[in-house]
Amino acid sequence: MSRVQLDHIAKAYGNGPRVIRDVNLDIQDKEFVVLVGPSGCGKSTLLRMIAGLEAITDGTLLIGDRRVNDVPPNERDIAMVFQNYALYPHMTVYENMAFGLKLRNMPKTEIKDRVTAAARLLEIENLLDRKPKDMSGGQRQRVAIGRAIVRNPQVFLFDEPLSNLDAKLRGQMRIELQKLHRDLQATMIYVTHDQIEAMTLGNRIVVLRNGDVQQFDTPITLYNQPVNRFVAGFIGTPPMNFLPGRLSGTGPLQFQSDQGAVTLDLSQSVHAPALASFRGHAVTLGIRAEHMSPVPVPGRSMPELTVQADAVEHTGNEALTYFHLDDQRFVARLPADLPLTFGQSFRLFWELDKCHFFDAETELAIR
Amino acid sequence: MKKLLPYWLVAPYVVHMLVFVAFPVVFSVVLTFHRWNIISPMEFIGPDNYVRLFKDRLFWQALFNTFRFLLVHIPLQIGIALGLAELLNRTLRGAAFFRAAFFLPVIVSGVVVTILWQQLLSFNSGMLNRLIAGIGLPRVAWLDDPAVAMYSIAIMATWKNVGLYVILFLVGLQTVPPQYYEAADLEGATNWQKFRYITLPMINPTIFTVVVLSTIGGFSLFIEPYIMTEGGPLNSTLSAVMYIYQQAFQYYHMGYSATLGFFFALLILAVVAIQKRYVEQEI
Repeated sequence: MSRVQLDHIAKAYGNGPRVIRDVNLDIQDKEFVVLVGPSGCGKSTLLRMIAGLEAITDGTLLIGDRRVNDVPPNERDIAMVFQNYALYPHMTVYENMAFGLKLRNMPKTEIKDRVTAAARLLEIENLLDRKPKDMSGGQRQRVAIGRAIVRNPQVFLFDEPLSNLDAKLRGQMRIELQKLHRDLQATMIYVTHDQIEAMTLGNRIVVLRNGDVQQFDTPITLYNQPVNRFVAGFIGTPPMNFLPGRLSGTGPLQFQSDQGAVTLDLSQSVHAPALASFRGHAVTLGIRAEHMSPVPVPGRSMPELTVQADAVEHTGNEALTYFHLDDQRFVARLPADLPLTFGQSFRLFWELDKCHFFDAETELAIR
Repeated sequence: MKKLLPYWLVAPYVVHMLVFVAFPVVFSVVLTFHRWNIISPMEFIGPDNYVRLFKDRLFWQALFNTFRFLLVHIPLQIGIALGLAELLNRTLRGAAFFRAAFFLPVIVSGVVVTILWQQLLSFNSGMLNRLIAGIGLPRVAWLDDPAVAMYSIAIMATWKNVGLYVILFLVGLQTVPPQYYEAADLEGATNWQKFRYITLPMINPTIFTVVVLSTIGGFSLFIEPYIMTEGGPLNSTLSAVMYIYQQAFQYYHMGYSATLGFFFALLILAVVAIQKRYVEQEI
């Protein structure tokens, strides 16, 4: 049983402000949870608190129903993979992987069995005699994971383990980590600032900002139903487009952007009931790049706008097309074969029901 | 003129090298085959100086004394320097003050330090013996007992130089990434295990540097015995360099002195090569 529960967890350094504020998370046994957020949001600090490398200022941390606030790291039954791997350069791969087991006075034959089994799982059997400096980044990463696996811990902690790898290798390792999670059937907590990594790896994702949990949910829920503007903007590539404006106070329910570039009739949209209580209020409209299209989809409510392309990025299978509405920069994901160039005007249809609305004051989603 | 400019720019260094390094080295090798007292003309004597060296019991005693000094001085210096560096590497209050305090003796003149310690270790009036006598123990002849004097000098030299090695070790310790210790914490390593399996191997290049520097520094032992004991009692603190100095500037045996120096330089080279073989490890 390797459930991890964080109950009102907080962290402050000395008498300074709290860098982690009242975090509550219930991570289930065998779950893969990703902590994601921008630099300085406290995700690594939170992971290090779970690991026991940082003291917990307030709250209770339970690993497998045992309170571990004051338990030293080695007695928490966890293993951690560091961002820079932290492989001992003077030891061979075998020695690196066996180090922790040796410290526990495990019999040599058992150490050998465990290291060999982990090496086989990670396909690094041929590297056991090498030193870290003689290996590539990807190989080092596997060794670092191998060092964690041999201990057979309840919980695996990963601190941005792929951030030192190139994009192609990162993609490969993501798939391997998923496979590893299936094979090991262990609880894994993974820190990253890369939201694609978060979306592809996590059963659930914790979005952090300034030491606060913004949302803890499945990737698809985060994407489709972000609780606030921050989550909406952080999850998704390219990021969600935002347009500040105001809802009409009387008459038909309309959204008008601040500088008047966009007016949308919302009276027939799925948002109408929720938005009714925000009439006359300042709201922010959000729409993802893929929810704008050069042709209308039959049977859907799709208002039309004419915009002028500022830039077009062809990625082969699509054209990311940039334009401005009011003074906000927008991007639309359009078909690659659309003959668009810089400065050209084109029609764009919005999937109104896929739009998001956020209270301009609280930034919370209006649902 | 423009073509010559680079040569002009390097000329001062080249001249310095030729006059103060290359010429003395070549000249001293030439000298080893001559008898010369500075005043009379040089007389070629073939390998006589080398033959004499191997028969010179006093030189071998001076070498033995030097090794006796090194045997105490190097481990003591490395042990204390590493211990102090470990302490200073922690977030101690006043760490900056202690760093400066430990380094202070290094920059004080060796002559001043030696005179100070001479007073401190004096049999009758020295503060150390007064303290010892104060608690009812017999006074120790720190500098007058042939069995003790060289070790007293070794302790003094350690005090004088340890600050330099503290700084070197401190730099070495600070290059060890903290993640290595954190990874070890997760593995359950004790402080000793972290020191033994992570710190020591990781700072091996620093250890090697310190061993070589303190070996070379130790082999050059001169000021301390020259001022404190003049090589006595019973030649027990006569160091190799002091003996070479005596041969050259007291007896004017310039050829023989050069032979001793040449032999001594080869010996240091051999010792350092051995250290390189056994101390240095590839990380």
